[in-house]
Amino acid sequence: MELLNYLEIGFSVALRPENLLYCFVGVFIGTLIGVLPGIGPVGAMSLLLPSTFKATPEAAIIMLAGIYYGAMYGGSTTSILVNIPGEAASVVTCLDGYKMARQGRAGPALGIAAFGSFIAGSLSVLGLMLLAPPLAKFALKFGPPEYFTLMVLGLTILIYLAHGSMPKALLMAAFGIVLGLIGLDTMTARPRFTFDIMELLDGVGLVPIVMGLFGVSEVLLNIEQVVRRDVFKTTIKGLLPTARDWKDSTGPIARGSVLGFFLGVLPGGGAVISSFLSYALEKRLSRHPERFGKGAIEGVAGPESANNAATGGAFIPLMTLGIPPNVVMAMLLGAFMIHGVTPGPLMMKQSPQLFWGVIVSMYIGNFMLLILNLPLIGIWVQILKVPYKILFPLILLFCLVGVYSVNNSVFDIYIMLIFGILGYLMKKFEYEGAPLVLAFVLGPMMENNLRKSLITSQGDFSIFLMRPLAAASLILAVILLVSPFIPWFSKKRAEIPKEEET
Amino acid sequence: MRSRDIISSLFWAAMGIGICYGGYKLDLGTLHEPGGGFIFFWVGVIMIGLSLGILIRAVRVKAIKGEMKAIWAGISWKKMVSVLAALFIYAYVFTPLGFILSTIFLLIFLFKAVEPQKWSWAILGAIVSTLAAYGVFRLWLGCQLPQGLLGI
Repeated sequence: MELLNYLEIGFSVALRPENLLYCFVGVFIGTLIGVLPGIGPVGAMSLLLPSTFKATPEAAIIMLAGIYYGAMYGGSTTSILVNIPGEAASVVTCLDGYKMARQGRAGPALGIAAFGSFIAGSLSVLGLMLLAPPLAKFALKFGPPEYFTLMVLGLTILIYLAHGSMPKALLMAAFGIVLGLIGLDTMTARPRFTFDIMELLDGVGLVPIVMGLFGVSEVLLNIEQVVRRDVFKTTIKGLLPTARDWKDSTGPIARGSVLGFFLGVLPGGGAVISSFLSYALEKRLSRHPERFGKGAIEGVAGPESANNAATGGAFIPLMTLGIPPNVVMAMLLGAFMIHGVTPGPLMMKQSPQLFWGVIVSMYIGNFMLLILNLPLIGIWVQILKVPYKILFPLILLFCLVGVYSVNNSVFDIYIMLIFGILGYLMKKFEYEGAPLVLAFVLGPMMENNLRKSLITSQGDFSIFLMRPLAAASLILAVILLVSPFIPWFSKKRAEIPKEEET
Repeated sequence: MRSRDIISSLFWAAMGIGICYGGYKLDLGTLHEPGGGFIFFWVGVIMIGLSLGILIRAVRVKAIKGEMKAIWAGISWKKMVSVLAALFIYAYVFTPLGFILSTIFLLIFLFKAVEPQKWSWAILGAIVSTLAAYGVFRLWLGCQLPQGLLGI
């Protein structure tokens, strides 16, 4: 009964004309950036963050969330038609989706990707709605030691799942923590690492760092390598899958939804891992595994459902604990803070309109995406044909103006450019940006909780081992950190599909 | 020996030393009451340790012939440096010239720099894109963009 009341609040918020408009803009832009390689949801969210300053917190978060799950829909279009994934989570869709397109079945491939995404997206919102309230209640019992160790665990899982070298990912996380702590000390108000630069007193902004690492650096990489995007010339017809297609896809969609949702809760690349695991699972369960990679519709339905379900799962740690599990959620946390809302266990009580409004808007957004991605598929195919030489100056323009408009500061433009160069070099030298950004966001919270814990315990580190949840988190984090030295774990880690920057 | 890891680990080790030193100067405090430099110092120590780990591993691994050349193979330095220089100059003249003028100049340059377009296309594209961005950011979203020479 209580849930129904909350849903009523949610619908009353989400159905306001202003919020519907923001939701539409969010999912539209999400699909657009999903279709366009070169800019991901993180870049797009940071670009559009300034546009939400005048909006209500509900409208702002509804739009930014829409970009995230909208990108997952859009990513499949490029995988199927061009064989280039718009998003990392759609990499596996290329395998069978593109083959289907070559066999003249682009329509059913796009159709099942959209329907599967819709069903999985809706189911994951349902899961979020049911799981978040009890988890938030439980989280009320957490103190600084639990928060500190949970953040350590979250960061460790992200590092564990990072592609390539773990020490490099750890190094990036350490650097991210340092960057996050630049500015005034929250306890003593003393400037730290500001080098007498006035603009650094407030710290380095999240938006310039993210835009630099994920926007400018990507443009620099694309300038040096001209990627040819030949849209497969085929008439897209019969978007509605046949009865046979549905029969083949029902199981994969259901399994992908469940798998995606639970893996989405985990820090670091839930959408990517779940799409790969769903593909592997379907291949293993299939009576004809030899069809996989040759145009099997199950190979599209499962992974596309899984990556969309993961987006819903990813909201759980952020909305109930206030801990972002990935870079996109870290960006969303930044947006919450700018609008004066602190996500966490109290959010549901203090801002029920925001909490339930965002959840219900995700249902509505999924409907909008279905319309955008089926009858209007032609628009996205046309957009795919825009050459990069025209696209890249516009991406740069939006990065420059977007960064400037956050604080009306030219200094932020310089920061973005410096991080653009750093991001470019990081890619060349095989370092990842995701641990840096997540640690940047978590750094100040980690420091605060560590200092509070140590003051409470009078400098006794055993406080982290005396409390069950804190001890469990810490032990798990240590196991993950030492696991690369154990051959069996090391082999298993190498088999996990990795998040290729957001 | 992996050259790219040796170079990068030395860079991060130097960065770690700097962070350690900065943290130490800030005040480490005590375990009972950690100071403002406490986390910086220890994170710096961790960075040094990790960098040394990467360095040792890189030295032990068998050298890949032409590794550094391969990283930079096929890069058009002229394009890369000119685009970056244009972006830094843009930031420098953004306030004195104003949004509209500086952005039109930047876009004309970018449209011509990487894969040259016709002059007419580059100029028209730059003007239309700038005005569209002005419409979205200044008129619709109400962002304060520098007025500069044109005063708008």
